[in-house]
Amino acid sequence: MKTLAQHQQDVPGKVATRWDVMLLPWVACIVVALVVHFASPVLVNEYWQNVLRRVGVFVIAAVSLNIVNGYAGQFSMGHAGFMAVGAYVAGATTYYGSLLLHGSVNDPNFYYQGIGLMLGGIGLGCVVAAIAGYLVGLPSLRLRGDYLAIVTLGFGEIIRVMLELTKGQLDNAAAVKDAGAKLLIHLNGPSGFFGIPSYANLFWIFLFVSVTCLIAYRIKYSSTGRALLSIREDEIAARSMGVDLTKYKVRAFVLAAALGGVAGGLYSHIGANPSPTDAGFQRSFDVILLVVLGGLGSISGSVLAAIVLILLPEVLREAQQYRLIIFALLLIIMMIVRPKGLFGVKEIWELDWFTGWFSGKRRERKAGAK
Amino acid sequence: MSTAESTTALLDVRGIGISFGGLKAVQDFSIALPPRGLYGLIGPNGAGKTTAFNLLTGVYTTQTGMTTLAGKRIETLKPHQIAAAGIARTFQNIRLFGELSVLDNVKLACHLRGKHTLLGTLLRSPRFVAQEEAMRLQAMELLSIFGLERVADESARNLPYGDQRRLEICRALATQPKVLLLDEPAAGMNPTEKVELAESIRAIRDRFGLAILLIEHDMGLVMKICERITVLDHGQTICSGTPSQVQNDPKVIEAYLGVEETAEGVVGGAV
Ligand SMILES: Nc1ncnc2c1ncn2[C@@H]1O[C@H](COP(=O)(O)OP(=O)(O)O)[C@@H](O)[C@H]1O
Ligand SMILES: [Mg+2]
Repeated sequence: MKTLAQHQQDVPGKVATRWDVMLLPWVACIVVALVVHFASPVLVNEYWQNVLRRVGVFVIAAVSLNIVNGYAGQFSMGHAGFMAVGAYVAGATTYYGSLLLHGSVNDPNFYYQGIGLMLGGIGLGCVVAAIAGYLVGLPSLRLRGDYLAIVTLGFGEIIRVMLELTKGQLDNAAAVKDAGAKLLIHLNGPSGFFGIPSYANLFWIFLFVSVTCLIAYRIKYSSTGRALLSIREDEIAARSMGVDLTKYKVRAFVLAAALGGVAGGLYSHIGANPSPTDAGFQRSFDVILLVVLGGLGSISGSVLAAIVLILLPEVLREAQQYRLIIFALLLIIMMIVRPKGLFGVKEIWELDWFTGWFSGKRRERKAGAK
Repeated sequence: MSTAESTTALLDVRGIGISFGGLKAVQDFSIALPPRGLYGLIGPNGAGKTTAFNLLTGVYTTQTGMTTLAGKRIETLKPHQIAAAGIARTFQNIRLFGELSVLDNVKLACHLRGKHTLLGTLLRSPRFVAQEEAMRLQAMELLSIFGLERVADESARNLPYGDQRRLEICRALATQPKVLLLDEPAAGMNPTEKVELAESIRAIRDRFGLAILLIEHDMGLVMKICERITVLDHGQTICSGTPSQVQNDPKVIEAYLGVEETAEGVVGGAV
């Protein structure tokens, strides 16, 4: 019997370095973003393009939350808190950055620099959210189930209250220069941060959507993904097989928070003014709903749930006021009909009916050809 | 236990124990398992056998005594560190990762001997790809020992009961242990399957050069394959010796006769 190390020595000869495997999917993300960016204006009007941007933001939010709630099975209820951190950091970076560097916000002459500020802000928001994720992830090691849910819920509420306590927004370069580091407390309190240019067009949104999905996919189908899933399936067995719970739970929290921060950063650049309520329980619940309905652990489930549930209220405009009732009903029905969510832990292409349907079609076509 | 024996022991356990509230679940438990030893741990239900395994694997932390594995103290380590040090186990109440495939259950356990970086994972670096392939090869090799390679892609929870028990052993072996702890691996198997299992346990020991500690209720099986047996009752070690010594020990007979429903079925044949 060979050890893993011995197997590994044998393998490299058989597995060539595949640059295409390593890099092509990342290139494909850019292609997807370009296609959506250029195809959408041809197919739908501006209103629906805006809806599509919102869909994209929630796809990122759901797919990222899925890493901690779905893969690792740690029920976090504070995802909106991480998103809000990303939203405010990125939004403030673009807004105050523009004031500082250019003296005004949303000037067409400053467009490309503005985009640069947005990307820098999203990166910064991502890092800050990741740090917050680390801090929230650590206590999660000692907590389970309900207690973890309460702690993470508390985190979101703390962020919400802190944002409500911030001071009014500054609106001229001189004031911004004076404020210096104190800018952090000028986030405009309960009314929310406004005036952030809506730089995140469909290209940027769908670039981040596809990158997030690729990250989530590559993690799920890797040793790291198996370790996370094993924790969700059975912590004691996972530890006994050598999985370091601390390391992997924290990894899941940090990754989810970082990508949640990206979702937030984009959210503040699609014309939605981030406000303290965006950090609150309601928003966290919205995202949890997407993950649970799509199936805990299923990337394609989260994507589909986000698309359907964001589009649904747009299609049924009259039903807007019943939104929460409809969502609650949907959740109840789902829990009865498919308690593991739409796809469970699987991806849509792994489901029997899906593969069956395709091979069936192929067979029909073959039969037709004869 | 003589000094000579204890210095050559691979797994040297001295006086470990734990109480839950007032209940002394395991007390002053000692065992000296030599390399390639195949020892048994028996006792009536609730005697503390599984708890002893939980102490050895760090699921519970011992309140007394010490454990060394190949000369290294391990009694204060966390479960994953103990697994890394070289102790693997199976669970009496099967604890597979039900939603994962059979193959992934075993690959997960191969995880321990690999290196895992986030960057490698996201880029699918050559290292990462080679390691995944190595894990797959090793997992398939282990599965084929028990004829499970045919069901590699099934979800673990869809396996029949006996196969789930066999998969537990495969998974434990995938961590490349020095010592394997088997907690009632034959429970729920029919007599033919039990005979096969006894053969596999011996075969595994020889092939992997492991030391094995076996909890088993089927006396016939234990007496047949174990070199030495330790008997627990109410958390206490009441006897330790060769199968024939244990069979004839009055305290052992009494312990088993005290438990009505197992008296005849279990020890009747052996006494
Ligand atoms: N975590 C625990 N908390 C309280 N009591 C426990 C715990 N684990 C085991 N016990 C008790 O310890 C005793 C020994 O249990 P166990 O080791 O499972 O027995 P065996 O495996 O020999 O049948 C039983 O009385 C059981 O109820
Ligand atoms: Mg037991």
